[in-house]
Amino acid sequence: MFNRNYKEKTIESVLFSVSVLTVVILFLICLFLFRDSLLLFKETSLLDFLTGKFWYPTSVNRQFGLLPLLLGSLIVTAGAIIFAVPLGIASAIYISEIAPPKVAEALKPFIEILAGIPSVVFGFFGLVILVPIVKDLFNLPTGQTALTGSIMLGIMSLPTIITISEDAISSVPSTIKHGSLALGATRWQTIYKVIVPAALSGISAAVMLGIGRAIGETMTLMMVTGNTAVIPSFPEGILDPVRTMTATIALEMGEVPQGSAHFHALFAVGTVLFIITFLINLIADLIKKRYRFKVD
Amino acid sequence: MELGSNVNENNFKSIRARGGLNIGLNARTSEKLAFALLTLSAMTTAGFVVIILAYIIYNGYSAISIEFLTEMPRMRMTQGGIYPAIVGTVYLIIGSMAAALPTGIMAAVYLNEYAGENRTTWLIEMAISNLAGTPSVVFGLFGLALFVKYFGFGSSLLASCLTLSLLIIPVIIRSTQEALIAVPNEYRESSLALGISKWQTIRHVVLPAAIPGIVTGTILSIGRVAGETAPILLTGAAYFLPRLPDSIYSGFMALPYHLFVLATSGTNITQTRPLQYGTALVLLMIVLGLNLIAVLIRRHYRQKLKI
Amino acid sequence: MTEAIQNVSHPQIEVENLNLWYGEKQALDNISMRIPKNSVTALIGPSGCGKSTFIRCLNRMNDLVKNCRIEGKVSIEGNNLYGKGVDVVDLRKHVGMVFQKANPFPMSIYDNIAYGPRLHGVSKKDMDGVVESALRSAAIWNEISDRLESSALALSGGQQQRLCIARTLAVKPEIILFDEPCSALDPISTSKIEELIVNLKNKYTIVIVTHNMQQAARISDYTAFFLMGRLIEFGKTKQVFQNPREKSTEDYITGRFG
Repeated sequence: MFNRNYKEKTIESVLFSVSVLTVVILFLICLFLFRDSLLLFKETSLLDFLTGKFWYPTSVNRQFGLLPLLLGSLIVTAGAIIFAVPLGIASAIYISEIAPPKVAEALKPFIEILAGIPSVVFGFFGLVILVPIVKDLFNLPTGQTALTGSIMLGIMSLPTIITISEDAISSVPSTIKHGSLALGATRWQTIYKVIVPAALSGISAAVMLGIGRAIGETMTLMMVTGNTAVIPSFPEGILDPVRTMTATIALEMGEVPQGSAHFHALFAVGTVLFIITFLINLIADLIKKRYRFKVD
Repeated sequence: MELGSNVNENNFKSIRARGGLNIGLNARTSEKLAFALLTLSAMTTAGFVVIILAYIIYNGYSAISIEFLTEMPRMRMTQGGIYPAIVGTVYLIIGSMAAALPTGIMAAVYLNEYAGENRTTWLIEMAISNLAGTPSVVFGLFGLALFVKYFGFGSSLLASCLTLSLLIIPVIIRSTQEALIAVPNEYRESSLALGISKWQTIRHVVLPAAIPGIVTGTILSIGRVAGETAPILLTGAAYFLPRLPDSIYSGFMALPYHLFVLATSGTNITQTRPLQYGTALVLLMIVLGLNLIAVLIRRHYRQKLKI
Repeated sequence: MTEAIQNVSHPQIEVENLNLWYGEKQALDNISMRIPKNSVTALIGPSGCGKSTFIRCLNRMNDLVKNCRIEGKVSIEGNNLYGKGVDVVDLRKHVGMVFQKANPFPMSIYDNIAYGPRLHGVSKKDMDGVVESALRSAAIWNEISDRLESSALALSGGQQQRLCIARTLAVKPEIILFDEPCSALDPISTSKIEELIVNLKNKYTIVIVTHNMQQAARISDYTAFFLMGRLIEFGKTKQVFQNPREKSTEDYITGRFG
């Protein structure tokens, strides 16, 4: 009897330790990113890094300015969200409220497949198909532009936005829905006046997570945005090449000597990216909590 | 509820204003229009999938042959096959799953079966959702700093496997938790009521009942490992390596990185297009094949439970 | 009430001043009761009266409920279940429980019965005998002996419930708790289980929660009437039904509320 209790306690402690490992990993990520990033600031001040307009990591007068990369990430993400959010929410509404059950069941695998396609395949597809189309359509010197990146990224964020919105929409209690229909409202009126408002916080969480997914995407953007590290002008810069934070890390890390200022600058970019996605996830989490409470 | 009743009231007013039960033509027309747009959106989304798959399959299948799958790349990767990349991807899958699967399942069991509602649990849950949302390139940086540099594994299969395992641990935890939640509480109660200890109950009743869900989640994360590029690019994938990795400390080729290299920085990008399509198709087939298996397993068990 | 308690000369289960709270809400209020060996004791009362909560104190299933606090004493053969150093897992081997909803594990019929004994260390060669005798005692052997390897989930509701009883018997408890075992069953399955319970009392002490008063009257030797977390009346079934001491018991039995 004593033995068994001892065994039970041991197992519980082992399982507990393993789950605490997740916290340790998160802590180590912070520690190692910050540690290597901080070494940059022996060379460049934090302010210069955050507000610097030029990313010239290898020239004689090297400069590590974050702005071109940050704005590059933002413009591509914004473009993606502008078209993926309406499309994603509309698809989610169609699947959960309008489609006949059989059609909805048939559509779900498509969303799952879209979520499963590796980003490098999206990048490849964008490179061979979309880049020439954008080039010819707008008569540009190159089709590797922010817009191309936005379109590919938008398609890639659709599954996140659709699945989470759909969850939120289908968890709106049917009593609310029936109440509206019983008053003589049409199905569409019920959807946009009752169901969507009731699911709004869940949908917002979906949008946040879609943004998080988009801003962290690397390979696709590296392959279709042209990777030119200049501050994009707005709005016509959408048709120029840009370079995102993620692409910068992946492109340049292979060529820098370990321990150099450039190496640390890339870690600093990674830290900024980590903090941004951390905040986005936190917001999405908070929104989700509120919405769960509301549904109960 | 407050929200619902407000809206209902508004609807009621507007319906009355239009003369009772007679829903205006406008309402009907706008409904038709809106439904048409929503349908179109969903079809567009599905359309993207069809176009991407069709394009890659159409262009890729002619490149695929036994030689393509079993030979080394030749002539500066402009000819030959992708054998080492396939093997590298398989090694990555095995290595990262070996590290991530037990860890993820154990953490999920703790969280679902043991954890109370307290600060530690909150902290663990928070860490998991943040790890799940951290970009893969950040995991790459971390893997580079910790495994490659700090532990001194170098750019290697080991460093890449460990980095990828960190990336999928949150995925495995979440899917295992979902599978555990779906196990009816009655199973736990009746086992405990038979004088079976908690761990034995988990081991002999709860986990077996959750296995279909765990397997499904596992297979999906295998797909993720097969397709990830940024983390391995930073921790060990080789541009070109005409042999198989001979130890866990050696570099390796992998399908997604090979595709990236051929498509963006190969020696002759236009000439090697068929190789690129072929590589993309093989990668896609692996990932989608795994997805299909996951769907079939889920369906199989769902039907079995219906008896 | 006091008289009935004194009548029980050799109580197997002795409950003294049992109080139970779910968070702030008190669900059981100072319950004292002595349940005799080899008898059937029925717990009756309107929904929410605490009878199910009470029965779950007898094998400490309430331990699984968050925010549940218990005070008082429950003794079996003189050992306090809530005392220090009590092994709950061991306790539940001696006090089996059959639930409201038949809940066989998703395994074969054989494995359902063998599950408990196997984990308690019964060897493989003895297992067939253990399974057969449990199924026979639960009066289901004749119906299913030819398909022991098929899934337990394919059985009918009544058969599933008898399988669950067999599963409990296979662990060889001394006391069996039944928590509304027939509430989801048709009349024919119900009467089979009632018959079974009456037979089982020769070897086991049985406590059964039921909302069906005819059932209590048919099968039990003693009846306890609960109302709003209190034990209102406890005595020989005949006496409680034909000559209740308390007004509220009479009201409940004659159907004036509940």
